[in-house]
This record gives sequence, C-alpha cells and structure tokens, in this order.
Amino acid sequence: MPKIRLENLIKRYGNVEVLHGIDLEMADNEFTVLVGPSGCGKSTTLRMIAGLEDVSEGEIYVDEKPISHLEPKDRDLAMVFQDYALYPHMNVAQNISFALRLAKRPKSEIESKVRDVAATVGLTEFLDRKPGALSGGQRQRVAMARALAKDSSMFLFDEPLSNLDAKLRGQMRAELALMSQRVQKNMIYVTHDQIEAMTLADRIVVMHGGYIQQQGTPKELFQRPVNKFVAGFLGMPPMNFLEGVIEERSNGVYVKGDGFDLRLEPEKAAGAKSHSSKEVTLGIRPSDLKYDPDVAAEDALQLDIMVSEYIGAQSVLLCQCGSAKVMVELNSDVPVSFGQSLTFAVNTNGVHLFDRQSEVAL
Amino acid sequence: MAQSNTRQNPAFYAVISVLVIMAIGPVLLMFVNSFKLDVDIISGSSGLVFLPTIQNYEKALCDVLWYQPDHVDFCSLKFGGAFINSLIIALISTILTLVIGCMAAYALVRFRFMGRDTVSMSTLMVRMVPPAVLLVPVFGLWNNEFCLDKDGLIGGAIREMVGGRGDVCLAGTHSGIILIYVAMNLPFVIWILQSFIVQVPRSLEEAARVDGAGPFQVFFKVVLPLIKPGLAAAAIFTFRIAWNEYLLASALSDRDTKTVPILIVNNMSEFNVEWGVIMATGMLLAIPPIIFTLFASRQIITGMTAGAVKG
Repeated sequence: MPKIRLENLIKRYGNVEVLHGIDLEMADNEFTVLVGPSGCGKSTTLRMIAGLEDVSEGEIYVDEKPISHLEPKDRDLAMVFQDYALYPHMNVAQNISFALRLAKRPKSEIESKVRDVAATVGLTEFLDRKPGALSGGQRQRVAMARALAKDSSMFLFDEPLSNLDAKLRGQMRAELALMSQRVQKNMIYVTHDQIEAMTLADRIVVMHGGYIQQQGTPKELFQRPVNKFVAGFLGMPPMNFLEGVIEERSNGVYVKGDGFDLRLEPEKAAGAKSHSSKEVTLGIRPSDLKYDPDVAAEDALQLDIMVSEYIGAQSVLLCQCGSAKVMVELNSDVPVSFGQSLTFAVNTNGVHLFDRQSEVAL
Repeated sequence: MAQSNTRQNPAFYAVISVLVIMAIGPVLLMFVNSFKLDVDIISGSSGLVFLPTIQNYEKALCDVLWYQPDHVDFCSLKFGGAFINSLIIALISTILTLVIGCMAAYALVRFRFMGRDTVSMSTLMVRMVPPAVLLVPVFGLWNNEFCLDKDGLIGGAIREMVGGRGDVCLAGTHSGIILIYVAMNLPFVIWILQSFIVQVPRSLEEAARVDGAGPFQVFFKVVLPLIKPGLAAAAIFTFRIAWNEYLLASALSDRDTKTVPILIVNNMSEFNVEWGVIMATGMLLAIPPIIFTLFASRQIITGMTAGAVKG
C-alpha cells in the first residue's frame, strides 16, 4: 500500500509559477480532499500526481519511490475525470474493461470483473449501452466503475460530481463515501465544494493561490482555522467577519467595533492581549449565534434584519450589524419582520480572531 | 408562415427543377446514349425513341467478355486492364493518403513543436497549386531522376522480373501515379482531419493514458474510431479525385498502367469519335465511385462523440 508524499512540488507554465512548493503526506488508505476556489492549483496538483502534467520541480514519492518520471500507465492509479471522459464508441462493458483489455488479462477474468463492478455501481442492465444513451448520473457511475475495475492502489477524482444536479450530487456523494469505505485504497479527491470535502475526507487540504493554506481532519479545520481564508471557505452559511479593535478594560478584554462590543472569554483574551496589533477581524459562524432576547449586551450582537431566506425548519437571515453584513440561522417559527432588531447570543467559545493585516488567526 | 409560403411558391419549384435537370441531365443523357448506336446518337433526332442495344457495352468490355461479340472484329480496348489499374491506383493512393494524413493531422493538432502553425498553413498552400503546374516537372523527375540502374542490384532484379528495357524509373508505373496522387490529396485530407481531431476531447486521451494505453494505443483505439466520419469524408474525396484524374495520369502512365479516363479518350481519333462506346465506358467508370461513396458514407454518423464528456 503506498504512502504518497509530495515534496516541494512546483509547477510553472512558462514563467508563471502556479504551484509554489507543495509539501503533503498521505497515509495508507487515507481519503484526502484537495479543496479550494478555482485556479488555486488543486487540479494541477492532482494531474501531476496522475502524470498528466509534468513536474517542474520537486518530487512525488509513492512508498518512498520517486514516480514523477513515470508515464501515467506505470503509476498504478485510476482516475475519474470531471467530464467523465467515457469512450463514446464503446459500450459500458467495453468502457469498464478497457484497462483490463489493454493489460491483456484473460477473457474470463475480464468478464467476471466487469460483472462484479457493474453490480457494485448498479449498472448491470446497461452494459450494452453506449455512453450517449445514458443519463448524467449513469455516466458518472460508468466512470467510477471504470476506475474500480482497474484495481489500482490509488484513486484520483477530479471534481467528479460537479456536473451533476444538486440532488444527484448528494446521492452520489453518499455512494462515494460507501465505496471508499469498502475499497480501502488511497483516494485523492479534488473539489471546490466544501460540503463534499467535509463529508468525504479523512484529511482536508485547503489550497489557495498555489499554496497549501491548512491541512487536517475536517473537524480540526472547522474548529481551528489558521487564517481568515480557511475560516471563510469551510462551513455553510459562511463565517461572518466583523472588523473591530481589542480593548482591555478592568472587567476583561473586549472587542469593539461598529455596532457591537463583545467580551472575550479568558483563553481568547490571553491570545488577543499578547498580540502586537490591536486591529482584528472577528469571525463568528452563523451556528454560533442564537436568538435570545434576554442575553446581556456584552455577550450579544444586535442585528437588523434585511432579508429572510426561508429554507424549511430554519431560515437564513441576512442582517446588518453596524456597517457589516451578518448571516444568522433562525428557527422559522420565530416571527420576523424586515427592519426589526433582534438580539443574538454569541457562543464566545466559537469566536475566531484574525489579525486584520496578515489575516492569520490569533 | 414563411416556410409554407416558400413551399407553395411556383418559382421555388422552377428553381429546383432547373437544378435537378442540371445535375441529372448529363448523366441521363449518357445513360440513354450508351444504349444507342453511333448512327442514332449523331442523327440527334427523336432522342428517346430508338432500339436499345448493348453493342457499346460489348465493345467496351470486349477483353473481359467470355464470348466474342459478332460486331467486334478486333478488341482494341483493354477496359479490364485499365479498370484494374484504376482500382489499384485509386485504392492504394486513398489508403496511403488516409494513413499518412490522419497521423500528420494528429501530430499537428496535439504535439507542440517548432513551426507547427507554419506547417499547418503551408499544407493548405500546397493545395492551391494547380495539378497542371506539377505536370511538367513531375514528368521530368519521374523519367530522369530517382531511377534505379538497370545493371544495379535492385534495378536488375526488377527488370528480370517484369521485363522491359532501360533504367527502372517511376514514370509509367503504378507507384509513380500513386505517389503524385498522395502528394496532391494529402494537404486537403490533413486539413479536414485536423478539424475532426480538434473535437476529440483531450480528457478522453488522458483517460486512456491513465487506463494504460501507450501513445499508439491512444491514437488507434480512442482517437481513430472517433474521427471515423472525418476519415470517411476524406476517403470519398480522395478516391473520387484519384479515380477521375486525367491530366497527370495521361502523362505518367504507359500502355500497361493507363487508367479508365485515359482509355475513354483513346476512343477519339481524328477520323472518328465513338460516342456510344465513350458513353458506355463512362457509365461503367461511374459505378465504382458510387459504390465506394455509398459504403463510406455509412460511416458518417453525426454526433459520434455524443456522451463522451458532459456538455
């Protein structure tokens, strides 16, 4: 079983450097998700692992053996492409068995393998069809089946669900999670969708601008983001950011800004006090704000409702706090009207502080 | 609304009829005249009232018939031989053109090398040169250059095998004609196939590479099946030109390698034009390209890449 290691991986297109030294380690059977906005270099990284892009500098190790000079076919990996990349002139069975046929496996083995894999992804009755006669979800399954049939030690996924509609995407995501549990191989998954990343990953690697911003388990990244980018990228609805200044008073440390004056809990206060700059950005997730009309003002945000989006049991409210916009979630039973001012209790444990200049977490 | 108007407009039908007559008329005339005696053809009267005869066909095909027609004293036409020459030349030059063309087109589309755009443009520029311009230089080259000495090893062996005199040159051989047809058709075929190869999604080739295909397997197992419609179109085009070509074949062929178009013209002499035989041979000449086109056009299925990739 390979343990994959990227060492100072650099990619240049001409004079433009798009990846600036990626260092990454993946343990056995780990499901790694590379996530980030478009253009962050996550797909390039994946394609370099696959061997579809040249490595400008650095090295990729599998089981401590360098592989960056190898052709894709010699790297023992299978890949699912964003646009499926099914061979349109072959039927489903031929698509699934293409790699096996190239490897000149015995016919009986190929047939049984195709049958097994097709049953796994629920394609048994479509084996004779051409890809053109399949729906989007079915094509996606064929692409996964093709990767599964190859029996590689590593699976690469390049935004495999981004072409599906929302409902199908949820369904396929669950199937993918099931598959990864069953197959127990190294999986590297690229997506721009943070929900996919959070739900599937053993380890999330957040990338931005050709750098790794942070890596760790979904929980670590969600609870302790190292900077404002990671904090804003993960979580739905996204984290609210408010600009404020740290003030030390006799009864504690406060963050004061336009429309709020919050007291920090002691642990955060110590970190804030020792920081050189007093200008900070305050980050609060919508889930850490609770509607509570009776809470003390120093533990609360006073929010003016601008827009209410009804999404069922919860409504997402877009509110104004001073000059900043804040999103909160509210039980739909609470009657709201526009322009109304509501008091929300802040879970002070969930408050994040970032330096306003460097955007690094305090 | 506009559509029903055009359909009812008599002028529309008039234009259509004229176009149909222009297209089919000559073929029809050739067909009818091929069953007439020369006397009937030249008299010009009563175009459709005549006693049909297969004498012209008998005369045209005299060297392949199993019996000797009464009206043919001496079989001067070697239609069978010319037909086989035409087939060999047209088929081999078509196959060669496609094989070289698809590889060249693939390289021009997918590989990055210096001067790629220049090569791509200049292939089409070569196509602009009229074949007549090529005639004299090629005739000279084929007759006097690239010859194998008749006393040399290979040249001597060839002379021993097929007989004949003088050095072994390209002029008068099938290879000589095939070579010039390939050169003539290649630029256009490359040009056509380039546009088909561009449409093959790159991710398909990448998927094949990950699946374990080498460069040649990617080309033959993935790219080539997908550009079949383009290959078919190019094949029809190339075969038709090679089959019909007259000018170069007339100069570069000899008695044993002449093609059907050359044979037809041999029926014209300063004393007599045998219209009936010309028409009959013309009809026979038209059959292979029709069969070839019917066969090849079945490969032209639109939307070959449907379902390959999303969107």
